[in-house]
Amino acid sequence: MNKVISVNLGGMAYQLEEGGYDALGAYLETAAARLRNNPDRDEILSDIEGAIGEKFRELLSSHKTVIQTKEVTAVLAEMGPIEVDSGEAEHQGAGGTADGARGQKTVGDEQAAGRGGTPRRLYRIHEGAMIAGVCNGIGAYANVDPTLVRLAFVALTLLWGAGLLVYIVLAIVVPEARSAEEKAAASGFPATAQEFIRRAKEGYYEAMKGFPDRRARREWNRRFNREMRANAEKWRYNWHSYWAERAPVHPAMGIVLPFLSLLQGAATVLWICALVSLLATGTLLGLALPPNVPLWLAALLLFVAYGILVGPLKAARRSCYRSCGGQGWTWSFVFLLDAMIWLAAVAVLLWLVSHYIPELREAIRSIPPLAHQALQDIQAWWK
Amino acid sequence: MSVNEKFSGIRKGMLEFLVLQIIAAEKVYVADILKQLSVTEFATQEGTLYPLLSKMRREGLLDYEWKESEAGPPRKYYQLTAKGREQLRETLEYWVKINGTVNKLGQI
Repeated sequence: MNKVISVNLGGMAYQLEEGGYDALGAYLETAAARLRNNPDRDEILSDIEGAIGEKFRELLSSHKTVIQTKEVTAVLAEMGPIEVDSGEAEHQGAGGTADGARGQKTVGDEQAAGRGGTPRRLYRIHEGAMIAGVCNGIGAYANVDPTLVRLAFVALTLLWGAGLLVYIVLAIVVPEARSAEEKAAASGFPATAQEFIRRAKEGYYEAMKGFPDRRARREWNRRFNREMRANAEKWRYNWHSYWAERAPVHPAMGIVLPFLSLLQGAATVLWICALVSLLATGTLLGLALPPNVPLWLAALLLFVAYGILVGPLKAARRSCYRSCGGQGWTWSFVFLLDAMIWLAAVAVLLWLVSHYIPELREAIRSIPPLAHQALQDIQAWWK
Repeated sequence: MSVNEKFSGIRKGMLEFLVLQIIAAEKVYVADILKQLSVTEFATQEGTLYPLLSKMRREGLLDYEWKESEAGPPRKYYQLTAKGREQLRETLEYWVKINGTVNKLGQI
């Protein structure tokens, strides 16, 4: 008994034995690799897929619905290896020409040539990106899972706040891979071929082919990417709700809630004061900054620190709401009370602070020109 | 090395010329081209032909249109452009010249 896998070739579904599916995947991957510098790569690959599909169709009848592994192998042998002619091979660089001299190549060789042949560059990759594609690009460049890169950035942010800063800078400085060549250069060959296979599996190229004009094609492209993003979104949502369900539930949390709100209010006020004192006097509530840290960097770090401090408080408050969620009116009452306490705490503390520390009051008045100054600092640094 | 092997490079180089000639006769799709070539010394495979056709289309020698087929998805039918015809004419002339040279040499 053999497992059967369905594939979509030229808009038709075919059922292949597992071994045949693997052989087809390897063939298409090699084809994609050899055509990596060909401007018509996608079109040729879709033609090839169509031709394979046509050959498969001839093998099927009403009594035979599955294509066996040996039949797939025979069809692929009939198709023959993808040959890029000499004119094309010239601009493949050193890797390509060396291959040409050797004649028949294995997939392994091809991958090695891809790594050596295509100069690799750092790009942002938009497909499958979470924010601006920075981690995705770094992952492709270093050939590691982008999720690991993302985790590294998160860790850096949590430790020193540097991750966020580096991310923002990279998002601005690193160009986005737009053309097929840039995408190939972003990863060298292997990841692009994987991407191609992945897309082929999802029927991406099939649907592309059916569209008569560029606009319909672009619309489809957009929809495809949107779906991929929606999947990521769903995953994130599941992750959040997983943690929310795990949060301990206890009626006493309704009592804890106002204290949490007070704490968060205090943190907010502290943050505002620190920010104001930073902008006004260049010190952090009296503490002098290290000499080589510019003002705007300190402000940015302050934002990050605030986020880190308030994050868990927010999460705790959210789980409190949830635990009180059973009874409708209690929930809305607690929510209202909590919001009032939070607002009141911020207002009272701000008033106290500005009342007892006149410098701070002065400082608040001088924020607009200082903000302007900080902006100019950043611009000067950028140039 | 057999004659067959020695001529593999030449056959490869001439493929484009033969494809031009086949397409010049009538609108064809890839399976027709392969079938016509299969009975000759120039028998080739899809893996070679598709990249070649795409290159020739890029160079403006040929063009294609989609046509419905009785079974299965639509097919690409290829035809020559004016530039393709011009190229075919030049190549034919050149071919006749080479042929003459091959026959003439050594007979003097």
